Amino acid sequence: MSTRRRQPSRMQQAVDFPLDWLEERSGLVGGVKYFLFRKVPADTNWMQTLGSATLTAFLVQTVTGVILAMYYQPTPNDAYASIVNITDHVTLGWLVRGMHKWGASVFIILMFLHMGRVFLFGAYKYPRELNWVLGVLLLVMGMAEGFTGYLLPWDQTAYWASVVGINLNGTAPFLGPWLAQFLRGGQDIGAETLARFYSLHMLVIPGAIFALIGLHLYLVIRLGVTSPPWSKEAAGADRADEPSQLREGLTRPAARGAGESE
Amino acid sequence: MAAGKPSAVDERRAQFARYKQDVKARGKSFYPFAMFEDTVMSLVVVTVIVALAAVWKWTAWAPHHLGTHQGLLGPEYTAPADPGTTNFVPRPDWYFYFLFYLLRIFKWPETVFLGTVGVPTIALILLIALPFYDVRRERRLSRRPVAVVGLVLTILSMAILTWKGATASEALASEVIADVPNWISAEKLPPAAVPGAKLFAVAGCTACHTYLGTGSSNLGAPDLTTIGTRNLGIAFQIRHLQCPSCVNPGSPMPKFASLGTTRLHELAVFLEASKGKK
Amino acid sequence: MNPDEMPDEPHLPSPSIWPIGFAIGIAVLLVGLIIDPLWISTIGGLIAVVFGVLWARDATSELRGKPVAIEPERRQAAPAGEDAPLQELSAERYPRSKFLEGTTLGLGAVIGGIITVPVAGFAVLPGFVGQKQHKVDLGPVSDFADGQWYIATFMLDPSEGEVSRRTTFIRNNGPLTVKGKQVPSFTIISNHCVHLGCPVQANGPSGAILGLKTLTETGKNGKVTLTPTVPAGFGCPCHGGQYDTEGNRTAGPPVRALDRYEYEIDNGRIVLLSTYSVAHVDGTGAQAKIQKYKPVGPGEHIDGIEQIFYPLNPPHH
Repeated sequence: MSTRRRQPSRMQQAVDFPLDWLEERSGLVGGVKYFLFRKVPADTNWMQTLGSATLTAFLVQTVTGVILAMYYQPTPNDAYASIVNITDHVTLGWLVRGMHKWGASVFIILMFLHMGRVFLFGAYKYPRELNWVLGVLLLVMGMAEGFTGYLLPWDQTAYWASVVGINLNGTAPFLGPWLAQFLRGGQDIGAETLARFYSLHMLVIPGAIFALIGLHLYLVIRLGVTSPPWSKEAAGADRADEPSQLREGLTRPAARGAGESE
Repeated sequence: MAAGKPSAVDERRAQFARYKQDVKARGKSFYPFAMFEDTVMSLVVVTVIVALAAVWKWTAWAPHHLGTHQGLLGPEYTAPADPGTTNFVPRPDWYFYFLFYLLRIFKWPETVFLGTVGVPTIALILLIALPFYDVRRERRLSRRPVAVVGLVLTILSMAILTWKGATASEALASEVIADVPNWISAEKLPPAAVPGAKLFAVAGCTACHTYLGTGSSNLGAPDLTTIGTRNLGIAFQIRHLQCPSCVNPGSPMPKFASLGTTRLHELAVFLEASKGKK
Repeated sequence: MNPDEMPDEPHLPSPSIWPIGFAIGIAVLLVGLIIDPLWISTIGGLIAVVFGVLWARDATSELRGKPVAIEPERRQAAPAGEDAPLQELSAERYPRSKFLEGTTLGLGAVIGGIITVPVAGFAVLPGFVGQKQHKVDLGPVSDFADGQWYIATFMLDPSEGEVSRRTTFIRNNGPLTVKGKQVPSFTIISNHCVHLGCPVQANGPSGAILGLKTLTETGKNGKVTLTPTVPAGFGCPCHGGQYDTEGNRTAGPPVRALDRYEYEIDNGRIVLLSTYSVAHVDGTGAQAKIQKYKPVGPGEHIDGIEQIFYPLNPPHH
């Protein structure tokens, strides 16, 4: 064994030192390592990349949306002109707006495909029920992003789609008319409506989506990824030759909070 | 618990414990094995988004340097919002087409709120509650017939609603004018009847009458595809258009005398030339 | 369980029904601000104060040394011999941890209230109170030929710009004799579909095709245009609603007749006032009998059994 092997190289030290420094003070490195090197079933397949693809599409929306906000003006008299300016005059504005516009469609399609995958795999079953509920809430929030964002270009399609969308809520029994008036910020669609849709679209709903994604991922990591149900080696499959004692031993529920400590 | 058959709750707990064991014993590390596939898929997604944006821009803008030009993927933007519009036909974004068409299905006033909030709310509740009414452990599709049928029906109905929503049209001047060339070729209309055909399309006749399947029959007015075979004569047609109830007592059709004799003559020529599909 | 740990067990305030009454009071107060600040808000305020005081008394009863009536703490019973003295101890001396729990929760609620109430009010209330009423001058009555329909577009409030542009269908019904005097009569129908608010179109030729001139006038209310039209009725481009020329539904999903505008004749000029909703119109033109209601949103039933779904409406002008 050479001395070079026992002593880490300068290069290695230069990498390790800041990481160790960070780990000692935050534990973040360990957290990331746990996330990256956790075990997933050996038989996962390409359909199971749809969730992370959805996350990517959402991140595209976040980044492009933040940049668009630098050029967009949320008032009825200026909104349309600022959209024309972004799309046709600002350098690469068409690309950022185009990515945001089409990324929205891609994001919604991916959410539905991801949901279809989870349904096909039966991956919403015990113990992952809550993650299904979180996913449906994310779908609703995603559709709400689509609805509130659609008004912002302030063109004919945008305006009238929003008129119908708001009045749809207005037909809900009892509270509907109040909800519709709240969404409009008055009895008619106007400057208040555009401003509050803008606020909902870029602050309120994305905030909720980030929080829900955090919980969604936390549960994915805690509960693990399912094997395809048709897999011969599906993790957790029934074992015909399993001794009954082992079965009984396993039926005892773990103590609260001890689930991870196996 | 030691004696007898284990309960359903025990069985699913046992299964999850087995899952944890199996993953620990035989699983692969998320990084790099699963993450590689995730990364490739994300690259595809980002590429598709950029490609869509590029196709959208270059087919809509490049030909005429006009943002409202209809490219392959639609215009960059439509005309500015006009809350007082008199000719705009509103349509939602494609992913709300299913809801849009659902609203057209519930065309009785008593059922409006079923389409607007009733059905969507029930569907959402069924969706959220899925893991709480489908509590069996079974995950193999061959043994989940109800789930498979439900999925197929859901996809089919969403696809049909979306398709119907995308192709829905109303008998309005702005849309009917596009059908005039079909009328000319289907009925072999002579050139003299063409101005009348265009007038017929934009003058709102199709709000009550139908012509070769275009228009609305909601109000019970007769189909005019073969009106020319009755050989009523141009003079009669003009008199009828000027004052329908004078010629045909009790007719609810409004008077079109204000169109002027030239236009009424054009309309009459068109109607007399309409002798059905040839 | 080790009895020594017991004082540090998490302890929640005992259940109380007063907060519910307090919340109802606040809700009534806020709703009252919209509907009737004088009476309903006062009643709501009284309810909130009474229940608030009762709640405060209830919450502080332990501090004031009164015995607590309800204390169903879910603890495992400790051996009787050891447990008895401890309970006596906590009854006579109030533990510091419980005081801190109570104040922390209470202060947290106060902070939450201080932030939430004004912010929620700011977000919600302005949309409901102080809604402006508009008057729109459409020009001299002489612009409108007898029996002719016009599509009128105008701005409700030119200071807001194009966003306040509206369209109505107007027909001059000719002079009407009221108490021996001749007064002009108009039918003024809003173009907002009462299904979901889409822009209703006239089913018939309009404008140049009729050989009639479109009038344009620029006045207090921006550019007003009057386009002559000959409608057989009105049709909605969204979901297929159809109306006759009095605005009654003839087909499709609309839940009532088209809304109408009130109007007045001022110095020979026609001035639009607020809108109202219509259940049904019998008869036509000047002789029409209009079943008039307060203005409500699209899709809301105002007569028939379905009206029970919409018992209370936000204020409209």
